[in-house]
Amino acid sequence: MFDLLATALVNIAQFKYLVPLFCGTLAGVIGGALPGVTITMTIIVVLPFTFGLDPLQGLATMTGVYVGGSAGGLVTAVLLGLPGTPSAIATTFDGYPMAKKGEPGRAIWLGVWASFFGGLLGGAFLILATGPLARIALEFGPWEFFSLFIFALSMVAGLVEGSLAKGLVAGALGLIVTILGNDPVMGQKRLTLGIPALEGGIDFLPVLIGVFAFAQTMTEVERMGGGRKALAAVETGVKLTVSHLKVIWEIVSRPVLLLWCSFIGVLIGVLPAIGGSAASMFAYDQAKKISRRPQLFGSGVPEGIIASESSNNANVGGSLVTIMAFGIPGDAVTAVMLGALTIHGIQSGPLFIQQNAQLAYGIFAAYLLAHVLMVIILGLLARVMLRIVSVPKAALFPVVLVLCVIGAYALNNTMSNVYILLAFGVLGYAMVKFGFPLAPFILGVILGDQIEINMIRAVMTDPDPWLFLTRPISGGLLVASVLSVAFAVWQHRRQQKKGIKPVEDDADF
Amino acid sequence: MSRDAIAGLVVFAASVVLFALTLDLKDSPLVPVGPGFYPRIVLGLTALLSLGLVVGELLGRPRRQPPDAGLRDVEAPVAPAARPNYLLVALSFGVFGLYCAALPTLGFRIATFAYVFGSSVLLSRPRSAKGWAGALVLGLATSFLTWLIFERELSVLLPRGRWTDF
Repeated sequence: MFDLLATALVNIAQFKYLVPLFCGTLAGVIGGALPGVTITMTIIVVLPFTFGLDPLQGLATMTGVYVGGSAGGLVTAVLLGLPGTPSAIATTFDGYPMAKKGEPGRAIWLGVWASFFGGLLGGAFLILATGPLARIALEFGPWEFFSLFIFALSMVAGLVEGSLAKGLVAGALGLIVTILGNDPVMGQKRLTLGIPALEGGIDFLPVLIGVFAFAQTMTEVERMGGGRKALAAVETGVKLTVSHLKVIWEIVSRPVLLLWCSFIGVLIGVLPAIGGSAASMFAYDQAKKISRRPQLFGSGVPEGIIASESSNNANVGGSLVTIMAFGIPGDAVTAVMLGALTIHGIQSGPLFIQQNAQLAYGIFAAYLLAHVLMVIILGLLARVMLRIVSVPKAALFPVVLVLCVIGAYALNNTMSNVYILLAFGVLGYAMVKFGFPLAPFILGVILGDQIEINMIRAVMTDPDPWLFLTRPISGGLLVASVLSVAFAVWQHRRQQKKGIKPVEDDADF
Repeated sequence: MSRDAIAGLVVFAASVVLFALTLDLKDSPLVPVGPGFYPRIVLGLTALLSLGLVVGELLGRPRRQPPDAGLRDVEAPVAPAARPNYLLVALSFGVFGLYCAALPTLGFRIATFAYVFGSSVLLSRPRSAKGWAGALVLGLATSFLTWLIFERELSVLLPRGRWTDF
């Protein structure tokens, strides 16, 4: 394992891979720093650039975006009090007060180094856990895969804050998208609604791009002209110089905090569709609970920044584990990576690491190296970033949508994917306006075919439907699905009784 | 009737219609269950869930959600709540729709230039000659650079126009 990793590190350090990795990390840092532009949107924009690259170059670029984006949000969170990404919200709680107290450099670098260490701990988990988990998944038959996908879907629908019913309906709508066009087992036409473009089924990437790109840009567009404070007037002359050894010591001298918050990040990353924002909020809450001075949280204590930033970067490692071991995207970013794998003809899932060891270890190496690049980029650009984030959205959004069109068109060089992009853009925006969560919808679209294929395979192997329940792993997963929904119902009812207003779902999916 | 109940009814109606369409699907002799088997389960489940949403809403159990509850990408917490500019959203969708329609006829380069120029002007109307020039340069630069990077450098094909042949 370590031989493969060392070879992959040497390989990825070559100019051929280092340039795309650097570009991806840079794009991620900038996208992460731009308030209103998330990592998901950044990776959607970057996706078409990877079509002409070889698989490892493309995936290295995307890994760079993911790592860079997870850390990039902290710059504006600390210096402006505006989180660049949802995963940096908790960073503002102590980062911004610390910066206001005259220590912006300390706040920024605590965040950067905490991201670095948290990310590396997430990387250790990624490297050590992916193989064994994939080996477990290799023992799965169609019954177990069917139940695993159902479990993932039910958990996502149940974990969305707000209405459980809407979460479940959104997941079911995602499954409906996959039944239109053709039957994935026999290729027989069905439910084409007389539209020729539907005859081959619907690719999930244009759906994902449409839903996320439009849901986000149009939500921003509707706020335009609402008197929002321009970022151009921001003070860009802040001094960010610090003693790095002192800052690193501040982090490593709190090993329990660092390890616990990174562990939370990894754990939440492994669960499908719960993004870095949930990880950082939960880690922040935990840091407050284990602290000897919880009353100081929110006033600019280093523990708050360390907790938030270490967990959101460790979360990336966890998310990559689920996609590499099971083929289930941990969030929207890994869903796009899954699409990129498909474009290059690579099948994700338990066989991925076995059949594409070089590529898998290349991703591990890219992940580790991206953290080093992230530190360098933020060190060089943190101050300049304040100018970059002042780019007008009226100029940014049309360019973003053009790149989305290229991404959709280039999948198979037909306009039908562009029309699908538009149609699902409208649907995504409507879902947002009607309060339907996007995470279960997208997971439904991604897993729908696999759920059907595995169900039919199971029935073809043995028509006894009870096997879904009597096979231990499959039955266990189905019971867990029911329990996750039951838990969500119980939690929603408890919140209703207590009169707690549901928090907006901040997952980065 | 509340917004959630309307949404639930729309989903319910759509799933019932699609369910009815699955009844015409012929079973395959090669597999024990036909191509309509799984869609019927999904559509039946969707109909039940959406009906549950409607009933729950009519009984007044679920609380109303904030309008953006489905979007996870939280914006700046200090942003003032402004009245949503739905007209601008509708126009933006309209301009994007025109762009999609123009791509196969005008080709990528012309359609992209027109779209980026038009859309940026729509989103922020220039107040000076410099602003108009900026929008023009943005349109030209986006069109040229994307074509250069994707088609020339990365060998990614872009839509060609029937009328322009490029």
